[in-house]
Amino acid sequence: MVNDVSFTVEPGRVTGFLGPNGAGKSTTMKILLDLASADQGTATIGGMRYRELEDPARTVGVVLEPNAFHPGRSGRNHLRILADGGGFPTERVQEMLSVVGLADAADRRVGTYSMGMRQRLSLAAALLGDPPVLVLDEPGNGLDPQGIRELREVLRERAANGDTIFVSSHLLSEVEHLADEVVVLNKGRLVASGSLAELQGEETFVRTPSRGSLMEVLQSAGGTAQPLEEDALLVRGVSIDAIGNRAHRAGIELHELSPHSGSLEDLFMDWTDVTNVDVTSDTPKEDRST
Amino acid sequence: MTWLRLVRAELRKLTTTKMPWAFLAVLVTISGVTAFAVIFGTDADGSKGFISTAADQKSLTAFAYNGLIIAALFGAIAVAREYGHDTVVPTFLIEPRRHRAVLAQFVAVMLAGGFLGFVGTALTMVAVAIALPATEYNFMMSVGDIMQLLAASSFAAATGAVIGAGIGTLVRNTGGAVAALVVVLLIAPPLAVQLVSEAISWVPGALANVVSGVADDVGMAAALTAMAAWAAVPAIIGVFVAERRDVV
Repeated sequence: MVNDVSFTVEPGRVTGFLGPNGAGKSTTMKILLDLASADQGTATIGGMRYRELEDPARTVGVVLEPNAFHPGRSGRNHLRILADGGGFPTERVQEMLSVVGLADAADRRVGTYSMGMRQRLSLAAALLGDPPVLVLDEPGNGLDPQGIRELREVLRERAANGDTIFVSSHLLSEVEHLADEVVVLNKGRLVASGSLAELQGEETFVRTPSRGSLMEVLQSAGGTAQPLEEDALLVRGVSIDAIGNRAHRAGIELHELSPHSGSLEDLFMDWTDVTNVDVTSDTPKEDRST
Repeated sequence: MTWLRLVRAELRKLTTTKMPWAFLAVLVTISGVTAFAVIFGTDADGSKGFISTAADQKSLTAFAYNGLIIAALFGAIAVAREYGHDTVVPTFLIEPRRHRAVLAQFVAVMLAGGFLGFVGTALTMVAVAIALPATEYNFMMSVGDIMQLLAASSFAAATGAVIGAGIGTLVRNTGGAVAALVVVLLIAPPLAVQLVSEAISWVPGALANVVSGVADDVGMAAALTAMAAWAAVPAIIGVFVAERRDVV
């Protein structure tokens, strides 16, 4: 179930799509790709629904979970079928097999592949049409460290060339290395989106003996306050200056007010922690498009 | 042009697993059993009446109904496994207007089914021709008989494959699709005949015999049309449902 989710994925950037299991990431991607239907709203790519794209196979490369292979078919034949359907030159098959390091195993049945090899084959399929948009659901699953590094290099290179990369992952450290932007879902709702650098730097650590009062003040200012130990709060959505000003106007004593740069893991746990005081706006933002 | 690419992709799907070989093995087995029956089998009175005339030999080698059933199983498994393995997902990503993708799938399965029917009949004829010298009878069928049986079997098997493909699209689970096919082709027709006796001329087995030229319950054109209708109904429903249903 996904509800009131609106965001934009920009070209030339790698956008990480985060959320706990069951948050709605895969569902959102399937709606974007017209594999599942939404009760309301639209998901567009370059302003068009997926099924309206003139040549979707050359426009969007896709990796979805679970991987879609017939176990009795060879990796090479899997790609040949996609090349036939998409009208890609057959040389692209061998080229992509080499790019993902599967050239030697190309004629083996996919049923004998490890999970990492299947993931490489999925990536080869996604790149077959050299599309300017990539929609990848957990592409790092099962990859060894070298594979993850190669995946990161491929995606960074394509983003640097102006491609649009939308990639879901539960490997937060990997996203931290890879993504320029993040979109975070929790229980089917958007809980954060924007530049990863800005999101990581937008927290403020506050210590105050009047924690409850300050939380009310920050709530009215549209911020999110997470109670920490004893008299401390971690505040997001309100600038450090605004926190000081509002506390001063409300006569709230502050013992500490300092910028806090959290790791993505800290932020993620915070965004998806149900005990948080969530006071973010529910107003839909822009249409999702790339 | 794009649509023909989809048909080519679907044909490659059908020929890049072991499934077609399994079906060819079934056809070889059936032809072997037929040869065995020609050599060792007799009618109830102990005679070899079932191979004594050209018409008898034509009835024996009329493979259209067998071809229809075998190709229907082939179509149902080929399509249902696409959903079972999610390999239909990349197909719908290449062609998100799903009716076009599903039609390409049906055409590919239809061609493969027709081929199975043709091969099944050819193998059966060869088996009978090889076995007959072991009896007191010769191979008596005319070239016209042979051509009609080959054409009838190819047509019947092609329609059977589409029936199976339509059911596979609707059920999406290989076991379930095969079970549904058994109900549609083997259980429902006799029940329908029990309810409406006139239906006996319009069930697949009777129609297959008409197109093979070994029965004349209805006219040839009517039989061909009725068989096409048998295939069209599940196919049209399948296209309609696939277009609207969430895939994953």
